[in-house]
Amino acid sequence: MESARHVFRVLFLLLVVVVIFSVGRTFLVPKSYGAYGPYRFDNVAEQAAVRPPQHGGSASCGACHAERLKAVTAGAHRKVGCEVCHAPLARHVRDGARSAPMPVDRSFTLCARCHRRIEGRPAAFPQIVLAQHQGGVEGTACIDCHEPHSPKL
Amino acid sequence: MPEISGYAFPNDVHVHWSLMIVMYPYITGFVAGAFIVTALYHLFGKKEFEPVARLALATSFCFMAIATFPLNLHLGHAERAFNVVVTPHFSSAMAGFGLLYSGYFVILLLEVWFVYRREIIETARRSRGVKRAFYAALALGTYDTSPEALEVDHRAVKLLSAFGLPAACMLHGYVGFIFGGIKANPWWSTPLMPVIFLLSAAVSGIALLVLLYQVTAKLGRRPIERETVQAMARWLWFFLILTVTLELLEIVLLAYENSDAWHIISQLLTTRLEFSFISVQMIGGSLVPFILLAIVVTMNAYLHDRVRNTLASVASLLLLVQVFSMRWNVVIGGQLLSKSFRGLRSGYQPSLFGREGVIVAIALFVLPFVLLWVFDRVLPIERAAPPAEPSREPAAEPARRTA
Repeated sequence: MESARHVFRVLFLLLVVVVIFSVGRTFLVPKSYGAYGPYRFDNVAEQAAVRPPQHGGSASCGACHAERLKAVTAGAHRKVGCEVCHAPLARHVRDGARSAPMPVDRSFTLCARCHRRIEGRPAAFPQIVLAQHQGGVEGTACIDCHEPHSPKL
Repeated sequence: MPEISGYAFPNDVHVHWSLMIVMYPYITGFVAGAFIVTALYHLFGKKEFEPVARLALATSFCFMAIATFPLNLHLGHAERAFNVVVTPHFSSAMAGFGLLYSGYFVILLLEVWFVYRREIIETARRSRGVKRAFYAALALGTYDTSPEALEVDHRAVKLLSAFGLPAACMLHGYVGFIFGGIKANPWWSTPLMPVIFLLSAAVSGIALLVLLYQVTAKLGRRPIERETVQAMARWLWFFLILTVTLELLEIVLLAYENSDAWHIISQLLTTRLEFSFISVQMIGGSLVPFILLAIVVTMNAYLHDRVRNTLASVASLLLLVQVFSMRWNVVIGGQLLSKSFRGLRSGYQPSLFGREGVIVAIALFVLPFVLLWVFDRVLPIERAAPPAEPSREPAAEPARRTA
């Protein structure tokens, strides 16, 4: 046993580390950790507080642009939200009043996201082959010819 | 804007797990691989590994010390890194990291301590002032170097290796498990993944040691032991065969089953990963080293030492590239295919600068070697005196009395 004294010392040191860790852990683990699963539940409310909603949905746009919304809901793009092509509501409205002009994404890549020809899409869905459409659409905005709010062409 | 071929879901076109997630299993692999080499000597009594046993232990330790860096660089918020250690749970493989990492680290620390204890004491005895206090603290205040005490150390090292080997295997196996457990991705989701990761870790660890051993021997003007290089080449060959067999088995099985996922994986391998998988991982990184090592293993009697060392070194260098490309093909490859199984995005190119860039990755790979140099300054990897068996060392007794 005499010759194993160093082993007991190192084991004691290990025990001290384990005790410090166990005691320290109670201070380090946040209070709400584990309340509803292995995460800090308070974080849900904290994130909600620091990240106010940016999008308002089409109905909130209709509060001021009722005519436009009516046209959209009657057309082929009725299921496409306003904020898909326009920016999120928060960029345009603050405290119920207009704060800045609404940015619009006029790029062909936005339209191509849905209308670029891909094998996996339903055959009846309007699709184009980008390279062939009007001699290649790159750089040309689709909305020069197509009406985005109620496309018929 | 990444190019898309076929039908890819919009949220499948981003590579979120970047170069740092490639570096993570690569670096952790060296920890497990190097530990296997130490265990071959301490646990399985392979005497020919004696010249590299301490180097392997130190290498394992230095890579272990920075194993978390790639994850911290990827995730950001390094100040939260400790949370995974204090709140381990089993609902996510990644959250089990705290238990595995700290458990293995303790074993590794203890093993280093027991292996170096005699030298720590001898340095403490020889030194004065701060240096003496430092080494005395490292020795935990006990200066017992009697043959009985050294025998206890010997047994402790053996016991720790016995626990360390499964711990090292689990630490790296779980890295593979993280990928193997993602069922939405057919390129990852296979029970073979932890085994492949583990075996390729052994390959990378031994390959690194073949190179490190020769470099350190050259630098220290020591002879390179023929048996050591030969034994490492033999084990390297063995692990290479196992790894590549399993890597191919996974793919051959997918192809033979002709499952729905094979449609996209065959495209992935022949288009996006054509260079990194077929050319680098399979031909340059597996076939060529296989042939080189086959020459070393089967033609041992006819080889000049220089030829053997060169062949083993070239094979090891290629295998280091092979294992890196394997990590790349798994991590990045798995993110190039869409969950639709009908679309691929264009290849991923990491940025040069930035937190997850190529320069940081290179620095991460260099860092353990800097640590190894520091380790060698504090606890010399090469013994000053010829090695002696602790049990047959009555001469150590008077030395204790003079302390």
